[in-house]
Amino acid sequence: MSGQILIQQPGNAVVTDLGRFRGPRFGLPVNGALDQYSARAANILAGNLDNDPLVEITALDFRMKAHSDILIAVTGAPLTLTVGGRPCSQWEPVSVRAGETVAIRGINRGLRAYLAVHGSVEVPTLLGSCAPDTVVGFGLQLKEGTTLLTRRSVGPVRQPYFDLPLFRLGLERPSMGQELMVDVTDGPDVAEFGDSAELLFTSEYAVSGRSNHIGLRLGGELPERTTSGEVLSRGVPVGAVEVPSREELLVLHRGRGVTAGYPVLAVVTSNGLDVLAQARPGDRVHFRKTTVAEATSAHRRSRAQLETLRESVNTVFGLLGIGCRPQWQDLPVAACS
Amino acid sequence: MSVLTAAPTEIYESGDSALRVVALSEASEDNWLTVHRLADWLEGCGAEGLHGAVPTYDSVLVEFDPVLVSARQVRAFVKLGLLEMARSAGTEAAPREFDVPVVYGGEYGPDLEKVAEYQGISTEEVIRLHTEKTYTVRCLGAPAGSPMMDGPAFPKPVPRLKDPRLSVPAGAVAVAGRQAVIAPASAPGGWCVIGQTPLTVLNIRREPLVPYKPGDILRFRHIEAGEFDSYVGKELEPRP
Repeated sequence: MSGQILIQQPGNAVVTDLGRFRGPRFGLPVNGALDQYSARAANILAGNLDNDPLVEITALDFRMKAHSDILIAVTGAPLTLTVGGRPCSQWEPVSVRAGETVAIRGINRGLRAYLAVHGSVEVPTLLGSCAPDTVVGFGLQLKEGTTLLTRRSVGPVRQPYFDLPLFRLGLERPSMGQELMVDVTDGPDVAEFGDSAELLFTSEYAVSGRSNHIGLRLGGELPERTTSGEVLSRGVPVGAVEVPSREELLVLHRGRGVTAGYPVLAVVTSNGLDVLAQARPGDRVHFRKTTVAEATSAHRRSRAQLETLRESVNTVFGLLGIGCRPQWQDLPVAACS
Repeated sequence: MSVLTAAPTEIYESGDSALRVVALSEASEDNWLTVHRLADWLEGCGAEGLHGAVPTYDSVLVEFDPVLVSARQVRAFVKLGLLEMARSAGTEAAPREFDVPVVYGGEYGPDLEKVAEYQGISTEEVIRLHTEKTYTVRCLGAPAGSPMMDGPAFPKPVPRLKDPRLSVPAGAVAVAGRQAVIAPASAPGGWCVIGQTPLTVLNIRREPLVPYKPGDILRFRHIEAGEFDSYVGKELEPRP
């Protein structure tokens, strides 16, 4: 049984997923949830697949009304979550009764929150992803009065099961705050910056208000390119650290243009990109050098925690009779008739 | 197409989720063929964890999920791809040809006079050089699958704008360095805009989103401002 959700106060919210991985080949950025860890966690806590469409809420308050019983999970930056006026916990599955309003207020310390609905929501896709692309004009920007169709409705879940402390099972919440430590590896063009490349690790950088999903602009002492001349356009990785001007450092995030002609000084690690996704204007960033091997291990550790979470959630949902992915869904239509 | 002598390559780390492969031949055509064939091979090899490859002129960015596959494993894949490619002839389709009508100068090409002045030639000469060349689409770039091409035979490379524009309209025809491009969608840009095509280049309701692909041929044709509106709403399509 499907359900309906009415957006009452959209704030700054979009429906997204983990990204358009086929996009870069065609000149489109990958886009998708900027804090991938929190997005995956929200979907797992809601009993969804990691890549299912979910709501990304940036900075501003958000409110929606459920027209049927649903199950949600909210992760990401700290905030005040209420359902039908009752305070509820983030990073846990939460039951919402038909007619109740879900309100997200006061996003603080970080910048982005993720709201997943059990069964996910119906949205159009482009190259296999629902992630908005502001350049080509694709995606679902939520407005007041937008109705989202959920693929499944879930009856209210009785206490006390959801008092189970899921997080003693080991899920780390991402670190947020005004001082951020961001791991980077040497970029392919680090040699072009000579000794000044080390400035990246000794200086403190302030996040500019002109930062967005395309890239973060950071003020501080800037490494300087010791070479000159036009560089041929090349594919640039998400996380590329560039010095395009004398004023600011540019760190490209998931909305980055796929090709560019600036040398890449360093590349932010996958875990570091999640940290930067939560950086607020004025926050201070320190970069720490790591290796690709260490960055890969760190990323695999955090993904392993999400796998542990998935097992716990599956167990709890199984006990409660909430089918994560009912078998009959995969049967051909004829078998059900 | 010809059997390829794969150019020598170097592989650079580019974070925990990407590698940059650069072709190092003196012949830019060999470099371009090498990185595009490698990208095709990687797309087709079906290796788990590979997201895809972004080939440009002399390099290809290979993106992957570091949980499913490591940078070391992808490096090995790339080396295998380079060997396999060299053993087989390319399977590239014959290039298609596109005719692009352009209104030059004025509100359509605000940087035409600046480019002419910098090159020390007349605006008519800039238009002549821009329209006389046959362009090969080298790669699809930002924004929105722009056709990146080797530029016209101007005397000097074209400097980028000191203050990039916050918005360049869809259809803008621009040059920078030794490159030429059309903007399929409105976006910020630092290239010199010398004209605009009235044709629709990007259509997100079909796949592929842009009609050309690397290897296809483009030609620009000078039209008058008065003709612009008669093309509006038509899509850029290959010649039959």
